[in-house]
Amino acid sequence: MNFSEIKEINSLGRNIFSIRFNALEEAMPGQFLMIWVPGIKEVPMSISSMDNGFEITFKVYGEATKKLSEMNVGDRIFYRGPYGKPYPEPVGKTAYVAGGTGLASLKPLINKHGGDVYIGARTKDELFLLDSNFHISTDDGSMGFQGNVVDLFLSIGKVYDTIYVCGPEIMMKNFYDRAGRKYGKNVYFSLERLMKCGIGICDSCSINGFRVCRDGPVFSYDEISMMDEFGVKRRTESGKIELMIKR
Amino acid sequence: MVSISTRVGKRKIEEPVMLASGILDETSGSILRSLESGAGISVTKSIGTEERKGYSTPIVSVIKTGMLNAVGLANPGIDAFLEEFTEVEKKDRIAVSIFGKDSEEFSYLAKRVEEAGFGIVELNLSCPHVQGFGSEVGQDPELVEDIIAEIRGKTNLQIWAKLTPNVTDLIEIARAAEKADAYVLINTLKATGVDIYSRNFLLSNKIGGYSGPGIKPVALRAVYDVFRETGKDIIGVGGISDWSDAIEFFLLGAKAVQVGTGIYYEDYAIFRKINEGISNYLEQEKFSSLDEIIGLMVRK
Ligand SMILES: Cc1cc2nc3c(=O)[nH]c(=O)nc-3n(C[C@H](O)[C@H](O)[C@H](O)COP(=O)(O)OP(=O)(O)OC[C@H]3O[C@@H](n4cnc5c(N)ncnc54)[C@H](O)[C@@H]3O)c2cc1C
Ligand SMILES: Cc1cc2nc3c(=O)[nH]c(=O)nc-3n(C[C@H](O)[C@H](O)[C@H](O)COP(=O)(O)O)c2cc1C
Ligand code: FES
Repeated sequence: MNFSEIKEINSLGRNIFSIRFNALEEAMPGQFLMIWVPGIKEVPMSISSMDNGFEITFKVYGEATKKLSEMNVGDRIFYRGPYGKPYPEPVGKTAYVAGGTGLASLKPLINKHGGDVYIGARTKDELFLLDSNFHISTDDGSMGFQGNVVDLFLSIGKVYDTIYVCGPEIMMKNFYDRAGRKYGKNVYFSLERLMKCGIGICDSCSINGFRVCRDGPVFSYDEISMMDEFGVKRRTESGKIELMIKR
Repeated sequence: MVSISTRVGKRKIEEPVMLASGILDETSGSILRSLESGAGISVTKSIGTEERKGYSTPIVSVIKTGMLNAVGLANPGIDAFLEEFTEVEKKDRIAVSIFGKDSEEFSYLAKRVEEAGFGIVELNLSCPHVQGFGSEVGQDPELVEDIIAEIRGKTNLQIWAKLTPNVTDLIEIARAAEKADAYVLINTLKATGVDIYSRNFLLSNKIGGYSGPGIKPVALRAVYDVFRETGKDIIGVGGISDWSDAIEFFLLGAKAVQVGTGIYYEDYAIFRKINEGISNYLEQEKFSSLDEIIGLMVRK
């Protein structure tokens, strides 16, 4: 377990925060950390920047993220990692399709390589790290295109050589079904699944024999095509398989 | 290639390296992946009568000499487990690990496992960190004897009894488990660890099980003692991370081995690497089969 002093903490939107801290480890875009909030729990978080220490960007969902959002500059943050396979380098014209906090995982890649960014959220207040060039969608129409980010991507209809997708699994499945085959080989998806160990031994993040923490979190279109549970079924904390609620 | 096939109880096993219970074996996809990676048999995560969420994170911590874990017997419960595994192929190479609090629960689970088409149960009499289960059951010789007799009476399953090293007299427990077809030795050692900067325990449950390279000498001693005293079939487990570790277990009497924490270091490739290493060793040392070295140092 490592720890470091928090250098910066920012509020980016409704219940969305970023924390920056010093780190000596090397990391690549797409990798994640296990952030430990002692006395509460340990949670996986994408590294949203790896220049000048590490940065994480998160939305407050429950106890762990709430406690993180209340931390102060100078407090200690505990973590292990980085873990997981990074995004491959882009080739040619590149697009990034993000849902909600999925943008955090794509941010280092966007900053390094540029390209077109499509970002969707439920409502305006949940959008963050915006840039005037981004294509924006909101479910309620409070900003940008009204609808989901896959609808937005398809409505613009531009053609790309490499596409990175990160967001809720249902949204990624939607992208896979409607745009995946057209782009095939050069589409990469970054998955989020319940994780306990983060190091590939407990099986809680597995999807059709692929461990999101060690074989992923980034998977190619071809790998995703081998996962019939993708966007359909998930595992609860006990390991029980269940249908994802809404489609 | 020298044959590395072995036999445990009534079961012939082509590759003597198995996947240990609790590591990458909760989901059917992962079980199949280990079998395709060269595990002779894969043992499932321990399954109980009811669904259990397990402990909250952190559930594992990598330490200098291995790993601490307190997963807390997370499992979907026998109904959901069987529902998922009913359609799975290669059932003959899957051993189902079960845990319960008494002989009634154990024999109920064993019957369900048999009805679903499996042939081997591994009894978790040894998990060190859950109240009322595992090693708490496995420390009581009468209860152990009772559990095995019940399962023996009610099923035709091959019974593997996984014992805890966390007892003063392992031989006493082994004798109580004598009606099993094989012993599995050992489960993790009861242990803990501290993060000195947050001044917290490394595991949310505080107490957990110690596995990995650091426990190999303890596991070897357990195999040696129990083989010498009982001569029964033993599956050795604890700290195996390469083929030479496995050979040590064979020489002291193990008929097969299991690998758990080793997967953290070597990933799925560990099964093929160990299988090949065993075969090369036998050839170089001029043995004609694995059988020849099993218990070699004890028989002398
Ligand atoms: C590889 C990986 C990378 C991740 N990266 C990020 C990241 O960069 N930023 C980030 O904000 N989160 C990220 N997550 C998700 C993050 O781990 C969870 O937000 C965190 O575990 C929540 O913990 P908590 O204790 O605050 O909430 P909990 O108490 O665990 O959850 C409270 C409630 O919110 C729901 N919930 C929790 N997380 C999510 C979610 N992600 N989406 C929808 N509902 C949720 C739960 O189901 C529950 O109902 C990542 C997850 C993975 C697997
Ligand atoms: C994360 C983890 C979970 C485990 N879960 C179980 C379990 O559910 N049932 C069981 O009988 N043993 C369980 N064990 C013990 C292992 O099967 C094995 O006996 C022990 O780890 C020693 O072997 P190793 O050093 O190769 O890991 C678990 C071990 C680990 C590390
Ligand atoms: S979180 Fe444990 S295997 Fe991925």
